[in-house]
Amino acid sequence: MKDIARQQMSIKVESMDMLNAQIQMEGKASASYLAMASWCDQRGYTGSADFMYQQAAEEREHMMKIFKFVNDCGGNAISPEVANINHDFSSLEEVFETALTQEIEVSKSINRIVASARKNSDFGVENFMQWFVTEQLEEEKSIRDILDLFELMGRDGIALKLIDERIKAA
Amino acid sequence: MSSMERIHSSQYYTFFQSDKERCFYIDLGQKLVRLSFCQLLSLRQKVWGITIEHHFDEEVNPHGLEILTLCNREHLFVLNTLEILDLKALLSDVFFVLGIAAQTPSLTSKI
Repeated sequence: MKDIARQQMSIKVESMDMLNAQIQMEGKASASYLAMASWCDQRGYTGSADFMYQQAAEEREHMMKIFKFVNDCGGNAISPEVANINHDFSSLEEVFETALTQEIEVSKSINRIVASARKNSDFGVENFMQWFVTEQLEEEKSIRDILDLFELMGRDGIALKLIDERIKAA
Repeated sequence: MSSMERIHSSQYYTFFQSDKERCFYIDLGQKLVRLSFCQLLSLRQKVWGITIEHHFDEEVNPHGLEILTLCNREHLFVLNTLEILDLKALLSDVFFVLGIAAQTPSLTSKI
């Protein structure tokens, strides 16, 4: 009997399922950053808005990278459905706290994929995901650095303006 | 039919591979359905997407039936709860036997 299925697909179906879930997560993260960008833009936090617009674009890039990988490996990439995006924030600090929480969830999910790929000897997936592991460390750090500014400079009107001016899209 | 090799059978269904045609067949009782690999992945995705708990909720799915379209809507099947569960088990086992799934609880428990 020929190994037709293996000839058609280079990764394990479990990995494909997890990567599709990650596509969904990255798609939702991108939409969530757009909501944050909108909140910042409307309140005159232009530096933060630019940062959030760029984050939204980056998350979409991540999503597309995984999407293409799944299809290139012969899998079935699923276009994400995005719903229930939060648009309500009580402060600029809460916006960044939400962003950090979101990034931590993404990091955890990526780590689960790497662990599962390693367990299943799906080394192509493990290798592909290494880029995301490094990327997530940088993502978390950049938002943590911004949150540190609130501790250093305070949360009053002028402090918020100065913080916003220091936040730059990379 | 002679060029097809039986890969696995569940209570209601049988899964075949055709080396010559480089495709798969599922005997769903009412009909023999030919599937390319990507159509097989798509079927798996659809069956996995079915929330079986809804079959036990009178308001969400009062009749306990699922309408399943296969091969880009070339085929249409109406399956009951037991048939859906059986199809899920079949596909889970089949992907393991085909060597592209790392694990399948139902098969490993039989070994």
